[in-house]
Amino acid sequence: MAGELESCKSLSGLLNGLAQEAFHGHPGITEELLRSQLYPEVPPEEFRPFLAKMKGILKSIASADMDFNQLEAFLTAQTKKQGGITSDQAAVISKFWKSHKTKIRESLMNQSRWDSGLRGLSWRVDSKSQSRHSAQIHTPVAIMELEIGKSGQVKPSIVD
Amino acid sequence: MEGSSEPLLDAKAEVTNQLLDFQWKLGMAVSLDSCRSLKYPKVAVTLKVGERSSQVQNKSFEMTIPPFQNFYRQFKEIAAIIETL
Repeated sequence: MAGELESCKSLSGLLNGLAQEAFHGHPGITEELLRSQLYPEVPPEEFRPFLAKMKGILKSIASADMDFNQLEAFLTAQTKKQGGITSDQAAVISKFWKSHKTKIRESLMNQSRWDSGLRGLSWRVDSKSQSRHSAQIHTPVAIMELEIGKSGQVKPSIVD
Repeated sequence: MEGSSEPLLDAKAEVTNQLLDFQWKLGMAVSLDSCRSLKYPKVAVTLKVGERSSQVQNKSFEMTIPPFQNFYRQFKEIAAIIETL
């Protein structure tokens, strides 16, 4: 089964799935889903420790917000460990972090935003010509609608 | 987020809320429980809105840099349009 576990394409998919669940808040990405989609030949009792190892590595990298030097050093150490990773796996992990680092940091920041955020913004510009009480000729006015809220809440607020 | 091509409000609806003040602060997130080593800028904004004589409300929110850049871009677009009028 080591052969299947070493597949680089599957590992890339696995890291994606782990990131979706751990950082980007997508529910429902279970161990069984990942196994059946990416490593169908691997029995669950072998897959479980493998998944835990990859998850641990990804979380360590994200938690330390590793730059590329730290990443190389960390992954090299992992390849030298007993029960660690192969150098091919290290290459896949390295490539994954380099392309997903920004997005993952952004998600971690959004997860830790406990105050309200800006969930939406739309606007229009009116040009007031006249009104009954005052002859305002040609006054442009910007009207904005902002959706401000915590996760799951939307409170529209209309201002001009 | 694109500007709406249709009116948000119908022609009779009157918007009386005005933007009275715009306050901001630029901060840096240094560490999270999920990410111990972080240097991430973020912008917090407080808008004071209210009708002329009634109570002023504060609306506060936070943005990371990508949403802030979009926020800024919207204002730039509005300013460009107003210039042409």
